[in-house]
Amino acid sequence: MNQAKPKDTGYQSRTFKSLGRLAFWAGAWLAATALMKFGPRLLWNKDVLLTLLAVCVNVCVGIGLILAQKRYISELDELQKKIYLDALAITVGVAVIVAIPYSVLHTYAVISFQADVSHLLELMSLTFLVSFFYGSVRYR
Amino acid sequence: MKNRLKVLRAERNWTQAELANALEVSRQTVNAIETGKFDPSLQLAFRASRLFGMRIEEIFHDEDHSNLATEVR
Repeated sequence: MNQAKPKDTGYQSRTFKSLGRLAFWAGAWLAATALMKFGPRLLWNKDVLLTLLAVCVNVCVGIGLILAQKRYISELDELQKKIYLDALAITVGVAVIVAIPYSVLHTYAVISFQADVSHLLELMSLTFLVSFFYGSVRYR
Repeated sequence: MKNRLKVLRAERNWTQAELANALEVSRQTVNAIETGKFDPSLQLAFRASRLFGMRIEEIFHDEDHSNLATEVR
């Protein structure tokens, strides 16, 4: 039986590079969001022009993050893609299902605290992490 | 769907990581296919067929089809 090793296609290094690119854009977006959120109050005393500039930077970096994520997903193999897309589908579903009742609860003052979009983002992050972990364990 | 991926890999003394790299998939995917938890796409089955130099049906076979064939006989 031929025991020669199969040729290296460079798949692992390619996906690793793609993951690194995604991590870079995620970090940049986080920094740009922090700058946009806290900059007006802490750095430039609510200057309108600088605030607009920070918003523009945030949107541009956000677009970069979306493109990096799209490229990352396209370079995943079929099982990883399935796990990733299943997790995204559950996340979007949970976000839609929770967001509307949450908004109603806030409108009719059923909840005492201030409803904030960050609550929804936290829920989405948590849902994605749990779904992705579940998918990974399922196919281990 | 059943497959002989694990046997063919063992015959060649390849690790899951080596096979995964040759098929351009992750090691997790090779493991999931070998344990029958995940059925590969036709494209991936063709890639495996080319790598092992065998026909697809010599590597992968449909359990339902095998049962049907037994019933017909």
